[in-house]
Amino acid sequence: MLDRVFVVVASRWFRLVLVSLLVLSLQTTLFSEVRPFGFAIQILAIFVASAGATHDVYTGAVAGLVSGFMYDAILATPLGISALVLGAVGAGAAVMLQPFRDPTWWLRLLVIGVAAAMGDVVTPLVKAVVGLDGWLEWRILGVMLVTFVGAGVFAAPMIPLARWTLREKAVYGSR
Amino acid sequence: MAQNKTNLRRAIVLLALASVFFITLDLSDSSSTSQIRRVFGTVFSPIENVARVVTRPVSGAWNAFRNYEDVVDENNRLQEQVALQEGATVAAAASVRLSQELLALNGLPTLAGINSVTAQVIGETPTNFSQTVEINQGFSSGVKVGMPVLNAAGLIGKVTEVFADRSLVMLISDPDYALSVKVVTMSSRTPITLPALETQDAPSVDSVLDTADTTTTTSSTTTTTTILGFTPSATTVPADVVAGARSNITVPLASQLAVRETGILEGRGPGLRPIVRFLDASTRASAIEVGAPIVSSGGSRSLAPPDVVIGVVSRVVERLGTAGPILEIDLVADLSNLSFLRVLLYQPITESGR
Repeated sequence: MLDRVFVVVASRWFRLVLVSLLVLSLQTTLFSEVRPFGFAIQILAIFVASAGATHDVYTGAVAGLVSGFMYDAILATPLGISALVLGAVGAGAAVMLQPFRDPTWWLRLLVIGVAAAMGDVVTPLVKAVVGLDGWLEWRILGVMLVTFVGAGVFAAPMIPLARWTLREKAVYGSR
Repeated sequence: MAQNKTNLRRAIVLLALASVFFITLDLSDSSSTSQIRRVFGTVFSPIENVARVVTRPVSGAWNAFRNYEDVVDENNRLQEQVALQEGATVAAAASVRLSQELLALNGLPTLAGINSVTAQVIGETPTNFSQTVEINQGFSSGVKVGMPVLNAAGLIGKVTEVFADRSLVMLISDPDYALSVKVVTMSSRTPITLPALETQDAPSVDSVLDTADTTTTTSSTTTTTTILGFTPSATTVPADVVAGARSNITVPLASQLAVRETGILEGRGPGLRPIVRFLDASTRASAIEVGAPIVSSGGSRSLAPPDVVIGVVSRVVERLGTAGPILEIDLVADLSNLSFLRVLLYQPITESGR
């Protein structure tokens, strides 16, 4: 019984939940106050894109869906919208890097920035689909730009964090 | 490896379906999603508080770097403004008190009769696609979903999510926010001016002030009232009126009194002024003046009690055909700089049970 608990606690998905909580707390505190040009940098989207960029499509999508559910739980928007958006961001980052066998560091940063910025377009689109319109405006360009530049700065620490969080290792008690 | 991918595929399908399911559930105002949020909020709150303490120096440094000049300018401007308004405040407070007394005497609801909870803003929205702030009062203080939230200037929004000791407030500028309001404007018709009355026909000061149990002396006259809580002020009655000298009396027409047009106020997102659409499409734009005050209309299904100040008309946009005009509103509350707020413990019928 205790072994099973240890297996769960030692799994990368449990680690993902804990790390997502920490990144989410940064999103709701530091990055909701530090707003370049009035726009919040989406550090959670950058983390999810990093997860997709350092792993495969499936891992990126699951990381996005899990983190997105947490994000939704603290927002006033319908539960599930950010999950779908971040799921697409994680998967999208992995898909964009698929053609490259051994992507360079700057290509990875670029892809993370593009994927995270695309999330800022998809969010108002999904909201409009469910009837919460009013957010599809030109200011989205500013939001995208800030998130893209923010990704250039913060993807550097997020890549090793995502790699460590989602790495597979020998499961406790599996021998 | 193949098994691992199959498991991941299943997880993705499951999570995506769960997302769609929860979106549907949430849009149909199900209470189960609120419970999920509450449970998550309870787990997340301590982590967020620690993060807030740890990151405070960084955000403080950012604010100091970015806003210092603005703060100095604003401080100077506010000091000047405070000096100007000190005198006006005393007169306004007396008028408000008198208005509340009159409303209470007539059995009409007033804001004074509604309890409130003072709250502090502890966080802004972390996303770029919602206009919310987080306050440090929750259901342990009696706060419930739907309660209107004000600052010192006027209405700023409504409570949308409540946790044990914190709540989320949707700002009035959010595109999902709508509230029934009334526009108070004056008719532009010319009042009737009656010819001067003979001395014996002129209304005496005593008869005018009788109802408030007053004692009056002529010339430099001090009026005292017995209305509880009302601070009496010195009233100087012109000597010529009391003496019955010939003077013209201006009688306002009934149509010259305040005209109230009812409409729906809608937010339009950050940086854009909220608008008011009229319920009655026959409302003419010429009947609305720029600068006319906008207050909540109240009523059993309204999100806010009546006569909460919201803003003033900044632009009247006329539309072709039968569509009525649209008003752009300058809010009296500065939504970009919120600190201390007041949650009115008034839950509208439409939000009860949430």
